[in-house]
Amino acid sequence: MNHRHLFDRYPGTRKNHERWVKTVCQECSVRCGLVAYLNNGGIVDIHGDDDHPVSQGRLCARGIAFVQGIDSPDRITCTAFRKNLQAPFEALEDWEKALDMVAEQLRKIKDQHGADSIFIGCDPEADLEFAICATRFANLLGTPHVYHPFDFPQTLSGFPLPPYPASPCYEWEHSKCLFLIEADIATTHPVAFGWALEAQQQGAKIIVADTRFTRTMSKADMALRIMPDSGNIIGLALMKTVLEESNYNGNIIKSRFTDPEKWRASFNKLSWEDMKNTIGLTPQKIKELSDLLQRNGPIIIVTGKKLAGLASYGIWSTLVTAMGWMGTKGSGWYPLDATTPPLNPSRGIDDRKAEKISHDNGSPTYALLNELKEACKKGHVPARAILCSGNCFDDFFSFFKDLSEEPELIAYFGSFPNSTQKLSHMVFPSALWAEKSGLCFSNDRAIQWAEKIVEPGTGCRSGLEFWLGLAKRFGWQDAFPWIKEDGSADHQSFYQWVLDGSPIIKGCTLEQIIGSNQVSDSCFWSFRDESKEDGKIEPTPAPEAIEPDAQIGDRECFPLYFQKTPFVSRSDQAGNFWPWTQKLEEEDAVQINPETARALNIENGEAILISSPAWTMEGHAWISRMVPIWMVSSPRGSGGDWVLVQKKDQTSDEALTILREFLL
Amino acid sequence: MNQMHPSIKTEHYLWVEPSRCIGCFSCEVACKMEHELPAGPRPIRVIQVGPLEHGDELTMKYQPTACLHCNSPACVEACPTGAMQKREDGLVFPDTDLCIGCQHCAIACPFGIPQLHPGTGKITKCDGCVDRVDIGLSPACVLACPTGALSFLTPIMKAQRARERFAKEIRHSGAVR
Repeated sequence: MNHRHLFDRYPGTRKNHERWVKTVCQECSVRCGLVAYLNNGGIVDIHGDDDHPVSQGRLCARGIAFVQGIDSPDRITCTAFRKNLQAPFEALEDWEKALDMVAEQLRKIKDQHGADSIFIGCDPEADLEFAICATRFANLLGTPHVYHPFDFPQTLSGFPLPPYPASPCYEWEHSKCLFLIEADIATTHPVAFGWALEAQQQGAKIIVADTRFTRTMSKADMALRIMPDSGNIIGLALMKTVLEESNYNGNIIKSRFTDPEKWRASFNKLSWEDMKNTIGLTPQKIKELSDLLQRNGPIIIVTGKKLAGLASYGIWSTLVTAMGWMGTKGSGWYPLDATTPPLNPSRGIDDRKAEKISHDNGSPTYALLNELKEACKKGHVPARAILCSGNCFDDFFSFFKDLSEEPELIAYFGSFPNSTQKLSHMVFPSALWAEKSGLCFSNDRAIQWAEKIVEPGTGCRSGLEFWLGLAKRFGWQDAFPWIKEDGSADHQSFYQWVLDGSPIIKGCTLEQIIGSNQVSDSCFWSFRDESKEDGKIEPTPAPEAIEPDAQIGDRECFPLYFQKTPFVSRSDQAGNFWPWTQKLEEEDAVQINPETARALNIENGEAILISSPAWTMEGHAWISRMVPIWMVSSPRGSGGDWVLVQKKDQTSDEALTILREFLL
Repeated sequence: MNQMHPSIKTEHYLWVEPSRCIGCFSCEVACKMEHELPAGPRPIRVIQVGPLEHGDELTMKYQPTACLHCNSPACVEACPTGAMQKREDGLVFPDTDLCIGCQHCAIACPFGIPQLHPGTGKITKCDGCVDRVDIGLSPACVLACPTGALSFLTPIMKAQRARERFAKEIRHSGAVR
């Protein structure tokens, strides 16, 4: 363990330990290798695994501090129940009893209101196995309402993939240019950003486009401050620029694109004026960007997770294909958090009815969620039972928080108290990632086996165990056969089944993957669908008109844009229970530009009130130029809204008058 | 056989490269975990400077700050019990058995390094991870840094690294044919 590292570091521990476990950190989608030292069943020290091909010994603050969550006194450790949301929780004697109760309730609700009245939400906090099993269970139950942010379509067509995948981050040093769009990876994926800095030191340019002046932007050679949610429009503008200048690879377009002429023509109609207004960059600046990109190949394009939910996302795939920015080391399109290959969770049972949270505004799922939102507003509650993992109620199920009529059952599966747990009837304590073995997929498309470090906390179970228990009570053991002889969940056979069901990772055995973890050479899943010979892609055309994705609310009364964003590297809700993060980031801090603060007479640290048409929030001002004058930002709240900010002793009318005058 | 002259310094120093620091706080967290510190004292601390306006542009920097292990440490001079010590290899650290929590060192230090541990009532500061260094391991903060902004090197190693960097810069600037 004591060999020299890339940075002349000497890893190891001075703490007494009986053994160590090499595994994969699951705090973010970089999936770094880590070494955990154990004594008396508990973790005594942690550092990065030097032998890991992706992280090569690096590990960020989250990867070190997650240990604090395992032993947190705030952890939920027993199943609990209450008759209504006003009553206090009563602890239940065991999981089996709690599962009996949920199964009975679900059966009753299905009989009375139909399966469609049952909703399942899978937060990324409760990992992939929960979502896969939930999808399968929902399919058997007959409800289409299962929502999750993972990407496991049954085919590749659900995702705009280019013919070649991007270089993994440890190959970025071969790149001459990294273009990051609305991707603050210095904050969210620090180890991957370490590789970007490595490339920069070797002469690569870092270009960053974002609305806030982020940590990532602070290291950029070219910083582009853009309007919120306009990242994909930059892609369209770049495409139009190279088409106008004929600087694209004509052969690739002819051989790879379906109907290239029609596609090319769509860009003629695209208006520079509209793009300028939407992005906030002049055509000259786009030209400058385009020139810089074309002078500096190979190019890596990194796009933020949020762009995936916005219109014209496919332009990045189209752009790298048309420009030939792929297929070599240090090039390609690197979509953040699009980590999961196509899987097939409903294999062997009826057609899949479940939906995933959409990558495309026009898709039925997005429309379905919007319909639900509207129905909830009007009081037409379609949900009689809601099963949630993680904190869906602060995320895509937020509209369920305002239900006028209480559903009969809200069950929460999670590790820590949160808004969803506070609104639930039943609570199931979940094991943390370090407490179970499983397969994990990374941003680099690496498939790795993560060995559990410690035994699950008292009373805690994995997502697989939760669904196996429910399936058994519905008589669906045959569809959920991953049980060992001793009755416990068999994670290995489950994940082998998952691998077997994927159209593109067939033939890859768990044995190989577990073995490859030990020889420092990850297995990767490929973008290529072997069944398709011609490899043609449907290029993303320019839209008829550019419409800003940022919601335009009542700007007259709510003149500032609000962005929800983490200020420091942390793991969402779970990070609240790590003592160090509590102190590092004041959760109620709200970033406000010094000029805006001056206009409103707000001092640094002063109590302020933020209100949108839908919510109000108290906070403390953090005066910083990281945000432009028309924007405020906080790790809490609901992103993408327009808000009014006022001092505690100011009336909203006073604040509004000041802001209107100031922003003119 | 290469034999080192006895006057050549073989001690390691914490070398900070702020240009590589991204303010991820890995060093702070690793330090706390290593020394089992509660929220409060931060023996190594990353300070965000900016964004500041430079014409139309903004700049923002991160500066990791830790004990400088001074040649003539004011904290050692000020300590009435001899708890604060400087080792032969230069590391300055408090012996917590001798510390009475008077905080004279905290007052004396021009950089505000020594801090009170709220749990024990004694002083805590960067001790250069003496216990790790003595068995040949890197200090916890250095090991944790994901971007290589922190290194623990001898002057010879540091000079070697600087020369390698410079050579790479020349090569990538295209000046070498």
